[in-house]
Amino acid sequence: MAPYVTRREALGGAAAALVLASCGGGDPPPSTGPRPGSGIALLGSLLALERASFAAYGACLDVLSGQARQQVHAIRAQERGHASRLAAVIEELGGTPPPGRSRAEYQRTFPQLRTPEDALRFAEDLEERQVRAYLEAVTEFPALELRLEAAGICADEGNHLATVRVLQGLPPAQGPFVTGAL
Amino acid sequence: MADRSDAELLTDLLTRERRLVSAYEAALRRDVIEASLGETLLAHERAHVAALERTLAGRGDPVASVPSPELTAALRDRRSFALYAKRLEDEIVGLYADRVPRIRDPKLRQPLGSIMTCDAAHVVALKDSMGSRFLVN
Repeated sequence: MAPYVTRREALGGAAAALVLASCGGGDPPPSTGPRPGSGIALLGSLLALERASFAAYGACLDVLSGQARQQVHAIRAQERGHASRLAAVIEELGGTPPPGRSRAEYQRTFPQLRTPEDALRFAEDLEERQVRAYLEAVTEFPALELRLEAAGICADEGNHLATVRVLQGLPPAQGPFVTGAL
Repeated sequence: MADRSDAELLTDLLTRERRLVSAYEAALRRDVIEASLGETLLAHERAHVAALERTLAGRGDPVASVPSPELTAALRDRRSFALYAKRLEDEIVGLYADRVPRIRDPKLRQPLGSIMTCDAAHVVALKDSMGSRFLVN
Protein backbone atom coordinates (compact mmCIF):
# COMPACT_ATOMS: atom_id res chain seq x y z
CA MET A 1 0.00 0.00 0.00
CA ALA A 2 1.66 3.25 -1.09
CA PRO A 3 -0.56 6.33 -1.18
CA TYR A 4 0.77 9.03 -3.43
CA VAL A 5 1.73 12.48 -2.22
CA THR A 6 0.58 15.18 -4.61
CA ARG A 7 2.75 18.12 -5.57
CA ARG A 8 0.43 20.38 -3.57
CA GLU A 9 0.84 18.15 -0.55
CA ALA A 10 4.59 18.12 -1.00
CA LEU A 11 4.82 21.89 -1.29
CA GLY A 12 1.80 23.11 0.59
CA GLY A 13 3.10 22.79 4.11
CA ALA A 14 6.39 24.51 3.45
CA ALA A 15 5.34 27.84 4.89
CA ALA A 16 3.84 26.28 7.97
CA ALA A 17 6.81 24.00 8.41
CA LEU A 18 9.14 26.96 8.37
CA VAL A 19 7.01 28.85 10.84
CA LEU A 20 6.45 25.93 13.14
CA ALA A 21 10.06 24.84 13.10
CA SER A 22 10.97 28.28 14.33
CA CYS A 23 8.20 28.74 16.86
CA GLY A 24 7.79 25.56 18.75
CA GLY A 25 8.54 22.47 16.73
CA GLY A 26 12.17 22.85 17.69
CA ASP A 27 11.54 23.10 21.42
CA PRO A 28 13.69 20.63 23.32
CA PRO A 29 11.97 17.56 24.70
CA PRO A 30 11.50 17.27 28.45
CA SER A 31 14.84 16.57 30.09
CA THR A 32 13.73 14.69 33.17
CA GLY A 33 11.61 11.70 34.00
CA PRO A 34 10.89 8.75 31.80
CA ARG A 35 13.38 6.56 30.01
CA PRO A 36 14.47 7.16 26.42
CA GLY A 37 12.30 5.31 23.92
CA SER A 38 9.11 5.89 25.89
CA GLY A 39 7.82 8.23 23.19
CA ILE A 40 8.04 11.27 25.44
CA ALA A 41 10.28 13.25 23.08
CA LEU A 42 7.76 12.79 20.28
CA LEU A 43 4.95 13.79 22.64
CA GLY A 44 6.89 16.96 23.45
CA SER A 45 7.26 17.76 19.75
CA LEU A 46 3.54 17.22 19.13
CA LEU A 47 2.72 19.44 22.10
CA ALA A 48 4.96 22.19 20.73
CA LEU A 49 3.22 21.87 17.36
CA GLU A 50 -0.23 22.11 18.96
CA ARG A 51 0.75 25.18 20.96
CA ALA A 52 2.20 26.89 17.90
CA SER A 53 -0.97 26.03 15.96
CA PHE A 54 -3.14 27.43 18.74
CA ALA A 55 -1.21 30.70 18.58
CA ALA A 56 -1.32 30.69 14.77
CA TYR A 57 -5.09 30.29 14.78
CA GLY A 58 -5.26 33.31 17.09
CA ALA A 59 -3.53 35.32 14.37
CA CYS A 60 -5.96 33.91 11.79
CA LEU A 61 -8.96 35.01 13.87
CA ASP A 62 -7.75 38.61 13.71
CA VAL A 63 -8.56 38.77 9.98
CA LEU A 64 -11.54 36.40 9.73
CA SER A 65 -15.22 37.12 10.15
CA GLY A 66 -18.57 35.40 9.87
CA GLN A 67 -18.80 31.64 9.36
CA ALA A 68 -15.09 31.22 8.70
CA ARG A 69 -14.30 32.89 12.00
CA GLN A 70 -16.73 30.62 13.86
CA GLN A 71 -15.23 27.51 12.32
CA VAL A 72 -11.65 28.56 13.00
CA HIS A 73 -12.60 29.48 16.55
CA ALA A 74 -13.93 25.94 17.01
CA ILE A 75 -10.79 24.43 15.50
CA ARG A 76 -8.63 26.54 17.79
CA ALA A 77 -10.56 25.33 20.84
CA GLN A 78 -9.93 21.74 19.78
CA GLU A 79 -6.21 22.43 19.34
CA ARG A 80 -6.11 23.73 22.90
CA GLY A 81 -7.83 20.53 24.02
CA HIS A 82 -5.24 18.45 22.16
CA ALA A 83 -2.42 20.40 23.81
CA SER A 84 -3.94 19.87 27.25
CA ARG A 85 -4.29 16.16 26.59
CA LEU A 86 -0.72 15.78 25.36
CA ALA A 87 0.60 17.68 28.40
CA ALA A 88 -1.41 15.36 30.67
CA VAL A 89 -0.01 12.27 28.92
CA ILE A 90 3.55 13.57 29.35
CA GLU A 91 2.88 14.01 33.05
CA GLU A 92 1.29 10.55 33.30
CA LEU A 93 4.53 9.16 31.90
CA GLY A 94 6.52 10.97 34.58
CA GLY A 95 7.77 13.79 32.38
CA THR A 96 7.49 17.54 32.50
CA PRO A 97 5.76 19.22 29.56
CA PRO A 98 7.95 21.73 27.73
CA PRO A 99 7.10 25.29 28.79
CA GLY A 100 6.04 26.68 25.41
CA ARG A 101 6.43 30.28 24.32
CA SER A 102 4.56 33.52 24.74
CA ARG A 103 2.01 34.64 22.17
CA ALA A 104 4.32 37.51 21.17
CA GLU A 105 7.20 35.11 20.56
CA TYR A 106 5.03 32.96 18.32
CA GLN A 107 3.52 35.98 16.61
CA ARG A 108 6.91 37.27 15.47
CA THR A 109 7.45 34.17 13.37
CA PHE A 110 4.08 34.12 11.59
CA PRO A 111 3.61 35.49 8.09
CA GLN A 112 1.64 38.72 7.89
CA LEU A 113 -2.00 37.79 7.37
CA ARG A 114 -3.78 40.64 5.61
CA THR A 115 -6.88 38.98 4.24
CA PRO A 116 -9.19 36.07 5.08
CA GLU A 117 -7.68 34.24 2.11
CA ASP A 118 -4.19 34.61 3.64
CA ALA A 119 -5.48 33.24 6.94
CA LEU A 120 -7.22 30.23 5.42
CA ARG A 121 -4.23 29.31 3.28
CA PHE A 122 -2.03 29.51 6.37
CA ALA A 123 -4.56 27.41 8.30
CA GLU A 124 -4.52 24.79 5.56
CA ASP A 125 -0.74 24.59 5.72
CA LEU A 126 -0.89 24.23 9.50
CA GLU A 127 -3.33 21.37 9.22
CA GLU A 128 -1.33 19.63 6.50
CA ARG A 129 1.63 19.73 8.86
CA GLN A 130 -0.37 18.39 11.78
CA VAL A 131 -1.93 15.55 9.81
CA ARG A 132 1.53 14.43 8.71
CA ALA A 133 2.94 14.71 12.25
CA TYR A 134 0.19 12.56 13.74
CA LEU A 135 0.34 9.98 10.94
CA GLU A 136 4.04 9.64 11.65
CA ALA A 137 3.32 9.41 15.37
CA VAL A 138 0.85 6.55 14.79
CA THR A 139 3.69 4.74 13.06
CA GLU A 140 6.43 5.60 15.52
CA PHE A 141 5.02 5.59 19.05
CA PRO A 142 6.22 2.44 20.79
CA ALA A 143 3.17 1.98 23.03
CA LEU A 144 -0.31 1.12 21.80
CA GLU A 145 -1.89 3.64 24.20
CA LEU A 146 0.14 6.47 22.68
CA ARG A 147 -0.68 5.33 19.14
CA LEU A 148 -4.38 5.37 20.05
CA GLU A 149 -4.05 8.93 21.37
CA ALA A 150 -2.28 10.00 18.18
CA ALA A 151 -4.82 8.34 15.89
CA GLY A 152 -7.74 9.99 17.67
CA ILE A 153 -6.17 13.44 17.35
CA CYS A 154 -5.18 12.70 13.74
CA ALA A 155 -8.84 12.11 12.88
CA ASP A 156 -9.63 15.55 14.34
CA GLU A 157 -6.86 17.14 12.28
CA GLY A 158 -8.27 15.49 9.15
CA ASN A 159 -11.59 17.11 9.98
CA HIS A 160 -9.89 20.48 10.47
CA LEU A 161 -7.96 20.22 7.21
CA ALA A 162 -11.14 19.44 5.28
CA THR A 163 -12.97 22.29 7.00
CA VAL A 164 -10.41 24.94 6.08
CA ARG A 165 -10.36 23.61 2.51
CA VAL A 166 -14.15 23.87 2.25
CA LEU A 167 -13.99 27.42 3.63
CA GLN A 168 -11.69 28.27 0.70
CA GLY A 169 -14.08 26.69 -1.82
CA LEU A 170 -11.81 23.68 -2.33
CA PRO A 171 -12.80 19.99 -2.29
CA PRO A 172 -12.56 18.65 1.28
CA ALA A 173 -9.97 16.05 0.28
CA GLN A 174 -7.44 16.28 -2.54
CA GLY A 175 -7.51 12.55 -3.13
CA PRO A 176 -8.27 9.20 -1.53
CA PHE A 177 -5.19 9.27 0.71
CA VAL A 178 -4.82 12.38 2.85
CA THR A 179 -1.19 12.21 3.91
CA GLY A 180 -0.61 15.76 5.08
CA ALA A 181 2.64 17.52 4.25
CA LEU A 182 5.88 18.47 5.94
CA MET B 1 -9.97 -6.04 22.50
CA ALA B 2 -8.45 -9.49 22.10
CA ASP B 3 -5.13 -9.62 20.33
CA ARG B 4 -6.16 -9.91 16.70
CA SER B 5 -4.05 -10.46 13.62
CA ASP B 6 -3.40 -7.70 11.11
CA ALA B 7 -5.46 -9.66 8.57
CA GLU B 8 -8.48 -9.68 10.88
CA LEU B 9 -8.16 -5.96 11.58
CA LEU B 10 -7.81 -5.17 7.87
CA THR B 11 -10.79 -7.37 7.03
CA ASP B 12 -12.97 -5.33 9.41
CA LEU B 13 -11.92 -2.15 7.63
CA LEU B 14 -12.43 -3.66 4.18
CA THR B 15 -15.96 -4.75 5.09
CA ARG B 16 -16.86 -1.20 6.13
CA GLU B 17 -15.23 0.37 3.08
CA ARG B 18 -17.19 -1.94 0.79
CA ARG B 19 -20.38 -0.90 2.54
CA LEU B 20 -19.57 2.71 1.68
CA VAL B 21 -18.89 1.81 -1.96
CA SER B 22 -22.30 0.10 -2.16
CA ALA B 23 -23.97 3.06 -0.52
CA TYR B 24 -22.49 5.67 -2.89
CA GLU B 25 -23.16 3.48 -5.96
CA ALA B 26 -26.81 3.11 -4.93
CA ALA B 27 -27.14 6.81 -4.13
CA LEU B 28 -25.82 7.79 -7.56
CA ARG B 29 -28.20 5.33 -9.26
CA ARG B 30 -31.15 6.79 -7.36
CA ASP B 31 -29.96 10.39 -7.74
CA VAL B 32 -30.02 11.00 -3.98
CA ILE B 33 -26.58 12.57 -3.93
CA GLU B 34 -25.28 15.43 -6.04
CA ALA B 35 -23.48 13.69 -8.90
CA SER B 36 -20.09 15.38 -8.61
CA LEU B 37 -19.88 14.84 -4.87
CA GLY B 38 -21.12 11.25 -5.13
CA GLU B 39 -18.65 10.36 -7.86
CA THR B 40 -15.76 11.86 -5.89
CA LEU B 41 -16.64 10.05 -2.68
CA LEU B 42 -17.23 6.80 -4.58
CA ALA B 43 -13.85 7.08 -6.33
CA HIS B 44 -12.13 7.59 -2.98
CA GLU B 45 -13.89 4.62 -1.40
CA ARG B 46 -13.04 2.40 -4.36
CA ALA B 47 -9.40 3.41 -3.99
CA HIS B 48 -9.57 2.52 -0.28
CA VAL B 49 -11.07 -0.87 -1.08
CA ALA B 50 -8.44 -1.54 -3.72
CA ALA B 51 -5.63 -0.61 -1.34
CA LEU B 52 -7.00 -2.82 1.42
CA GLU B 53 -7.54 -5.71 -0.98
CA ARG B 54 -3.96 -5.43 -2.23
CA THR B 55 -2.69 -5.40 1.32
CA LEU B 56 -4.83 -8.37 2.27
CA ALA B 57 -4.02 -10.41 -0.84
CA GLY B 58 -3.46 -13.97 0.21
CA ARG B 59 -4.41 -13.28 3.82
CA GLY B 60 -7.69 -13.34 5.67
CA ASP B 61 -11.11 -14.72 4.78
CA PRO B 62 -13.22 -13.59 1.83
CA VAL B 63 -15.59 -10.75 2.71
CA ALA B 64 -19.26 -10.85 1.67
CA SER B 65 -21.09 -7.54 1.44
CA VAL B 66 -24.82 -7.75 2.20
CA PRO B 67 -27.20 -4.90 1.31
CA SER B 68 -28.41 -3.15 4.44
CA PRO B 69 -32.11 -2.45 5.10
CA GLU B 70 -31.00 0.92 6.48
CA LEU B 71 -29.50 1.80 3.11
CA THR B 72 -32.79 1.09 1.37
CA ALA B 73 -34.56 3.46 3.76
CA ALA B 74 -31.86 6.10 3.32
CA LEU B 75 -32.26 6.14 -0.47
CA ARG B 76 -35.63 7.94 -0.35
CA ASP B 77 -34.18 11.47 -0.57
CA ARG B 78 -30.92 13.41 -0.50
CA ARG B 79 -31.06 14.49 3.12
CA SER B 80 -31.80 10.97 4.37
CA PHE B 81 -28.93 9.62 2.35
CA ALA B 82 -26.50 12.32 3.49
CA LEU B 83 -27.36 11.61 7.12
CA TYR B 84 -26.92 7.86 6.58
CA ALA B 85 -23.62 8.27 4.73
CA LYS B 86 -22.32 10.71 7.34
CA ARG B 87 -23.06 8.15 10.05
CA LEU B 88 -21.20 5.44 8.12
CA GLU B 89 -18.24 7.77 7.57
CA ASP B 90 -18.19 8.80 11.23
CA GLU B 91 -18.23 5.14 12.24
CA ILE B 92 -15.44 4.16 9.91
CA VAL B 93 -13.25 7.05 11.09
CA GLY B 94 -13.74 5.80 14.64
CA LEU B 95 -12.94 2.26 13.52
CA TYR B 96 -9.69 3.33 11.84
CA ALA B 97 -8.72 5.38 14.91
CA ASP B 98 -9.12 2.25 17.01
CA ARG B 99 -7.73 -0.37 14.62
CA VAL B 100 -4.79 1.33 12.89
CA PRO B 101 -2.76 1.72 16.09
CA ARG B 102 -3.21 -2.03 16.70
CA ILE B 103 -1.75 -3.05 13.34
CA ARG B 104 1.52 -4.83 14.09
CA ASP B 105 3.25 -3.97 10.83
CA PRO B 106 4.29 -0.33 11.37
CA LYS B 107 4.73 0.24 7.63
CA LEU B 108 0.97 -0.14 7.18
CA ARG B 109 -0.10 2.33 9.84
CA GLN B 110 0.66 5.56 7.99
CA PRO B 111 -1.09 4.63 4.71
CA LEU B 112 -4.07 3.29 6.66
CA GLY B 113 -4.12 6.50 8.66
CA SER B 114 -4.21 8.47 5.41
CA ILE B 115 -7.43 6.62 4.53
CA MET B 116 -8.83 7.59 7.92
CA THR B 117 -8.09 11.28 7.33
CA CYS B 118 -9.73 11.06 3.90
CA ASP B 119 -12.86 9.55 5.45
CA ALA B 120 -12.80 12.35 8.05
CA ALA B 121 -12.86 14.77 5.12
CA HIS B 122 -15.88 12.93 3.71
CA VAL B 123 -17.77 13.72 6.92
CA VAL B 124 -17.07 17.41 6.29
CA ALA B 125 -18.17 17.07 2.65
CA LEU B 126 -21.47 15.46 3.66
CA LYS B 127 -22.14 18.07 6.36
CA ASP B 128 -21.42 20.80 3.83
CA SER B 129 -23.81 19.16 1.34
CA MET B 130 -26.56 19.38 3.98
CA GLY B 131 -25.88 23.09 4.50
CA SER B 132 -24.53 22.54 8.00
CA ARG B 133 -23.07 25.70 9.49
CA PHE B 134 -20.70 23.73 11.70
CA LEU B 135 -18.25 21.55 9.86
CA VAL B 136 -15.92 20.96 12.80
CA ASN B 137 -16.78 17.79 14.72
